[in-house]
Amino acid sequence: MSFGVDRSIDLRHDTICMAAASHRPSPIAWLIAPAVLLFVLFFVLPFAVMAMMSVYSGNPVTNPNAYPTTRHYERFIFDTAGIFHDALWATLRIGLVTTVISLLIGYPLAHWMARMHSRLGHALALTAVIAPLLTGIVVRTFAWMTILQDKGVINTTLMSWGVIHKPLPLMYNEFGTVVALVHIYVPFMVLTLIGVIGRIDERLEQAARSLGAGRIRAFVEVTLPLSLPGILAGSLLVFALSISAYVTPSLMGGTEVLTLPMLIAQQVGTSFNPNFAGALGVVLLLVCLVIVIAYNRILARLSGEQGLA
Amino acid sequence: MSAAANRKPFDAGRAAYLALNIVLLAFLLAPIAIVIVFALNPTPFISFPPVGVSLRWFEKFFASSDFMNALWLSLWVAACVLVLSVVIGGACALALARGNLPGRTFLTAFFMSPLMLPAILTGLALFQSYLLAGIGRPIWGLIMAHTLIAVPYVLRTTLAVLHNFDHRIEEAAAALGASPARVFFEVTLPLIQPGVFAGGVFAFIVSFDQFPVSLFLVVPKSETLPVVLYNYMKFDLDGAIAAASMVSILLALSVVLAMERLIGLKAYVKL
Repeated sequence: MSFGVDRSIDLRHDTICMAAASHRPSPIAWLIAPAVLLFVLFFVLPFAVMAMMSVYSGNPVTNPNAYPTTRHYERFIFDTAGIFHDALWATLRIGLVTTVISLLIGYPLAHWMARMHSRLGHALALTAVIAPLLTGIVVRTFAWMTILQDKGVINTTLMSWGVIHKPLPLMYNEFGTVVALVHIYVPFMVLTLIGVIGRIDERLEQAARSLGAGRIRAFVEVTLPLSLPGILAGSLLVFALSISAYVTPSLMGGTEVLTLPMLIAQQVGTSFNPNFAGALGVVLLLVCLVIVIAYNRILARLSGEQGLA
Repeated sequence: MSAAANRKPFDAGRAAYLALNIVLLAFLLAPIAIVIVFALNPTPFISFPPVGVSLRWFEKFFASSDFMNALWLSLWVAACVLVLSVVIGGACALALARGNLPGRTFLTAFFMSPLMLPAILTGLALFQSYLLAGIGRPIWGLIMAHTLIAVPYVLRTTLAVLHNFDHRIEEAAAALGASPARVFFEVTLPLIQPGVFAGGVFAFIVSFDQFPVSLFLVVPKSETLPVVLYNYMKFDLDGAIAAASMVSILLALSVVLAMERLIGLKAYVKL
């Protein structure tokens, strides 16, 4: 999970201040050593191992007969079993739908909070957004299971009112998966957007209105275009998070949903094929890297512009 | 929202806007409220509407040795992660902000990157590495994995505090004759303390709630609480899960309050 902040403005500013003083690292720089060690041993090396495993036929340490091969990637690309491409599309489709709905829910909330003048109201709303974020994914998925299952809150209530006679299929399908994913990732959208909308000068909208634009027109023609980079950044973040979700699709999707992370877990857990799992991992990693790089570019450009202004 | 709109006696558009946002906030909070209802509802299955208030699910949760072992393991792992990530992340933040290192923008992005990559892949990569190294799946391997995910949080809260305070305070102390060590211990450290603490609180909760990284790294019979809950939920949905969830929610709420006190929630808004 992440709501990482791009601090490039501050860093750039620091660099300028520091450059005037000296170009050499101070002794404090050595404090970076433990973090470097941790990241090399438990982050860089493991991902290299994952990439290596994906091009080997077995475990190259314990099995002397293991040989380099591209067969895991071929298995994914040619997909003779007919499930891998479907899983990839399902993953991207669920990610896309989750992103669009999160934006539709997150934007009004972020706009409201960014323009709220009451400090207490702002703090309460912010607590309401952050509290779910700090509740575990397993717990939040459980909450949605109690709401959407056949004997859950919605079905029981509707049946007791006589609106429906048999439970609606709200869970164990893509619908339930998307609902729970939206709930889990909306806070990331809201937190990204509040910052961006908060920086748009409110007077621009007021000027548009005093020049005769209606409230909706002022929003559509002034605020909305100015918040576009935030919309893009928030959407990329939510998309990257939801295509890598495992808990929610596996609990809410039942047997009807199969996503790439679920396939990876199957390969490790039941099929015990860590090499093929590695290849699937590399595919998912590449998709996420493209998104993350785009996301960082947008945020960096955004803070660059704001830094100059 | 504009001043003109405020003066009207009743504004349907504004009322609709407010109502919409309250509905959206309710969408965020309702599932959590419902978990609390189920934790206190005495019926054997999750059923709605609730019929009463009882603590039987809490009794079941706290009496179950499976849940308790998992809870203690999670708390123990989270405590180790807190200490490790505060030390490693705090030191790293100081080095990045004050060490005059070349390529700081890149380094910061690099140390934040575990947050941006799918956690399940971090778990998979570590699982494969431990497999190749032939070390099995030790607890310290799990702790290091959680620490990796927690360090970025400590880094962010500490950097936020370091960027907000004036360099010149340290320079003034040095100009008045304090040695670098004394400046560090008497000026810098007390000033960054809230940021480091806030990061530590975050690190604890991130480890306590961690699922995707733990999935491949735990061994049967010594699983963390989220993994035990997940396995239980696959077959059974009863109030014990709700009670366990409520423990986790209360923890999250206390973290939010601690955070607000330490550095203010605004530090968590992007940009």
